[in-house]
Amino acid sequence: MRLGKVIGRVVLSETVPEFEGARWLLVSPYDREHFMSGADAPEGLSSLPTPVVYDNLGGGEGDTIGFVEGREAAAPFDKPTPVDAINAAIIDYVNHEPL
Amino acid sequence: MLLARVEGNLTSTRKHPSLDGWRLIVCQPLDHTRQPKGAPVVAIDRLGAAMHHEVIVSSDGAAARHAVNDPKSPVRMMIVAIVDNASERTEVAAV
Repeated sequence: MRLGKVIGRVVLSETVPEFEGARWLLVSPYDREHFMSGADAPEGLSSLPTPVVYDNLGGGEGDTIGFVEGREAAAPFDKPTPVDAINAAIIDYVNHEPL
Repeated sequence: MLLARVEGNLTSTRKHPSLDGWRLIVCQPLDHTRQPKGAPVVAIDRLGAAMHHEVIVSSDGAAARHAVNDPKSPVRMMIVAIVDNASERTEVAAV
């Protein structure tokens, strides 16, 4: 999974039926320089594209989350759902020791 | 699969239940000169990869779901091998 900072939420009006009642986070993905030891998310936004991530863990703005992209993101759903990015973990603490 | 170097780990209490008990390891992908390339990824690990060791990371979710024993897990990245660093010289195939 990749790490990113939750920078907002997205409310959808028209969606495919599978998305009824879903919760979506706007995430700024971490590049190498955003990885730093600590409990708090780094300042600023990354230049990487901003994914919209399905969330049922309750991620809030400012949280660092671990999100999974690709077909694996749809694995938790009972029926086929066109989700390709899902919040898999809300991160409490990052320990980063670059060589 | 990615050649990467272990550069850290994470703790997370609120996560998908299939990840409970699994080490979450920060892996920095490397290029053919063993220098960092691109953003680190986070992979599950049960081989006990140590800090700064080089590892092979697979992004095949099917193998990872099997490892966590949960067909509905969103897990994807998994450390599948620890690189033996004895051979310093790297044969790089001409691409």
